[in-house]
Amino acid sequence: MLIDQEKCDGCSRCIPYCPVNAILLHKKDKKKGVDAYAEINRDECVECSVCFRSAGCPANAIREEELGWPRILRKAFSDPVYTHKGTDIPGRGTEEMKTNDVTGRFLDGFIGFGLEFGRPGIGTRFSDTEKAIKKLLPLGVKLEPCNPLTELIDNPDTGDLKKEVLDEKVLSAIVEGIIPVDMCQNVFAAIKEIAQEIDTVFSLDIISKVGPGETIPAIQEMESAGLSRAINGKVNIGVGHPLFKNN
Amino acid sequence: MSHTLHRCGTPRNLKDDFVILSMSAKTVNVKGSGPKMKKLFGILGKHEYVNFGEVKTGSRYNSEWEIVHEGFKDQSVVHYVFNDRKVLKNVLSEIKEAELGLSVIVSGVIDSINDLCQQVGLKMHTVEFSGGILGKTDLLPEKPVLQITTMCGHGLVATNLVKKMAKQVKRGMKTLEEAAIELAKPCMCGVFNTKRAEDLLKQFDK
Repeated sequence: MLIDQEKCDGCSRCIPYCPVNAILLHKKDKKKGVDAYAEINRDECVECSVCFRSAGCPANAIREEELGWPRILRKAFSDPVYTHKGTDIPGRGTEEMKTNDVTGRFLDGFIGFGLEFGRPGIGTRFSDTEKAIKKLLPLGVKLEPCNPLTELIDNPDTGDLKKEVLDEKVLSAIVEGIIPVDMCQNVFAAIKEIAQEIDTVFSLDIISKVGPGETIPAIQEMESAGLSRAINGKVNIGVGHPLFKNN
Repeated sequence: MSHTLHRCGTPRNLKDDFVILSMSAKTVNVKGSGPKMKKLFGILGKHEYVNFGEVKTGSRYNSEWEIVHEGFKDQSVVHYVFNDRKVLKNVLSEIKEAELGLSVIVSGVIDSINDLCQQVGLKMHTVEFSGGILGKTDLLPEKPVLQITTMCGHGLVATNLVKKMAKQVKRGMKTLEEAAIELAKPCMCGVFNTKRAEDLLKQFDK
């Protein structure tokens, strides 16, 4: 994002709209003969376009710019209007459990997890997501191949991300995978360790197909690991067609 | 892409906060799903809703219902927000009867959703739980702010905007409704619950 300093009159209207507080106001400097103006801190800006779309700049001074690699990743992971080429769906993640009734992505005996780095509202550098990937891969975790973050892995054995992306900042990026239920406690312990080693926050997603007898294995596993579980969540109500049949 | 999952709140202020999301699967039934979504969007629009949206065409507060209705394509995603259990029960009943074959996800208090599903003859197929926020949680804003900002799961509603709107309400510069609508504008999917935001903004006065 850019603010045209010639057009900007320094009204500061845009400043509170920025989710990552990346807009600075330069006050009027009489000595230098410079009027007040707003400027975007490009290192902190995640290219979400909220200032452009929602702040209603009266001087029409905010504009989007052409983004090259790797800066384009900021937009891909922060602006839900942007459709990621790998997933073909807008946003940071995948269809995950939303279409599980027809895809069978999460089967009985397996648990899905997601670490939504930077969420809520803090943002993350990819270097923090790399810490999580490097911690999880040695446990035998298979990361979701269609997730846009997985595509940034340079070395699938070590979990190293492409070097040039590490310092890019985004609103959120999801480390996403599926594990057998019997791996849960090891993975949940690793997730707790990851939480101690990062410079941001993550929101934790745990996915479970409702099993035979209406059981939900994730509940027991989360309780055993001492993980909190909110009363609210997401439910796939199984009306998709054709319904996935587990052989 | 679990943008309706981590809505922070209390049992009391979450109890009437429901989001319906519907989409097709890229690898299974995406072909020809656009018209079905348009139909579903029309069905849900007959009920008393708080917000609606599709990320490409906008929400109730930054677009128009007709524009969103006409814009559905095979890879679109339907969103509606409801704030009444009775309404949600009727919505679920109509979704079941419509047999459109699209996947449907309901976000809200899981026990309530389970109860309503059973009442209309549906069963929970898959559940996604929020395991909370981990890491450097001292970076987070105060809970009253977080309860509002997390209603846009893509993180597009800024902490500072919540504080500004709360201040403007307190000073009489905006009504609660006007402030809630301003907060909803950055949320492109239309999952921001303005009625809940109004209730939450009242807390700031205390």
